[in-house]
Amino acid sequence: MTLNLANFFIQLIAFAILFWLLQRYAFKPLFGVMEKRRQMVLEQMESAQKNRDEANQYIEEQRQALQQARKEAYDIIEQAKSTGSKQADDILKAARSETERLKEEAARDIENEKNKAVAALKAQVSGLSVLIASKIIEKQVDEQTQQQLIDQYLQEVGNKS
Amino acid sequence: MKGVRSNKMEHLAPVIEVGGIKFDLAGIFMIVLTSLVVFILARLAVRNLSVDNPGKLQNFLEWVVEFVQGIIGQAMDYKKGRAYLGLGLTLILYIFVSNMLGLPFGIVTEVHDGHIPTFFGQPLVVEGAHEHVAFSWWKSPTADASMTMALALIVIILSHVQGLRQNTKHYLQHYTRNPNPLFLPIHLIELVSKPLTLGLRLFGNIFAGEVMIGVILGMGWIGIPAMLLWQGFSIFVGAIQSFVFVMLTMVYISQAVVHEEDH
Repeated sequence: MTLNLANFFIQLIAFAILFWLLQRYAFKPLFGVMEKRRQMVLEQMESAQKNRDEANQYIEEQRQALQQARKEAYDIIEQAKSTGSKQADDILKAARSETERLKEEAARDIENEKNKAVAALKAQVSGLSVLIASKIIEKQVDEQTQQQLIDQYLQEVGNKS
Repeated sequence: MKGVRSNKMEHLAPVIEVGGIKFDLAGIFMIVLTSLVVFILARLAVRNLSVDNPGKLQNFLEWVVEFVQGIIGQAMDYKKGRAYLGLGLTLILYIFVSNMLGLPFGIVTEVHDGHIPTFFGQPLVVEGAHEHVAFSWWKSPTADASMTMALALIVIILSHVQGLRQNTKHYLQHYTRNPNPLFLPIHLIELVSKPLTLGLRLFGNIFAGEVMIGVILGMGWIGIPAMLLWQGFSIFVGAIQSFVFVMLTMVYISQAVVHEEDH
């Protein structure tokens, strides 16, 4: 083994040049890209964390909104139930009073009609009895008696009125 | 490296001499090739950079980056060590690619009748007498001690400079007061041994692997299963050695730079 001094120095210079070239044209851009990727990963992790937080917040909000909606729906149903039953009561009450009224009216009408019919019947009976009476009397009374009777009647009528 | 000279079928390194300085052409060629491969690979990986949809090569390079970040993080506080990420990446890519490049094949030119080829007007240097000369043009840059020592020295000098700059007082005190002045010689030995072990470990592993490949090649057809096994093992060793080199780099730097309170 002998040391070749020329090669020793050539190796020194060659390595220095190679180092400089690599540093300038290969490592610098590569490190830049690696650094950029590191930043990108950091940013993405950060944004992922932020998104997750936001998502959790949204879920919480949604849950509250759902709760709210459920409560409101319950309230609405309750209200509808109570108004429904109230309306039913009202309707029933109204119907009942209506029937009551109708019944009374009908009873009153019946009474009226009955009175009317009785009155009409009375009138007719008296007419008929007069007619029958006159028919019977017609055959037995002569003109003179008849005149007497009429006068008598007239007098009676006059006295009555 | 000039090879092992006792063998008849030896492969020499193609060396030319210019102005009294010896240049190992194969080594230079492989340094340039390895650097090119690393650079082209890195450029391909960052060609279509994408933040959210990285390509396969980009993914691979990012994996390497994270791997080196892990190594640095083990050795020191990552905030302090981030400055050495580029160095660690260049080292691991360069060493790994050069470890791998030596494995798949070799390029050997043989010389007959003593016609030594010339490069840039300079004949290749052949030391000693050989009946049969062949030059090996293809090897891992890391299978050459002069290249690995250069890498090791870069790292060690960097660690000392950074220690002096960022951690002056404790860095200097470390030599004389840890745990007492009697240990100064040991610290000085360590000072010398660190670059040696760092550079020679890498060289030894890869060089041994390539020598072994040469030996197995000499076995002919019988050597094929052994070759398969050894190639696989060499890939493993190459990967491990590039990891170890970067690991030790970061450890040495952190030893010099980081001031530990509980001394």
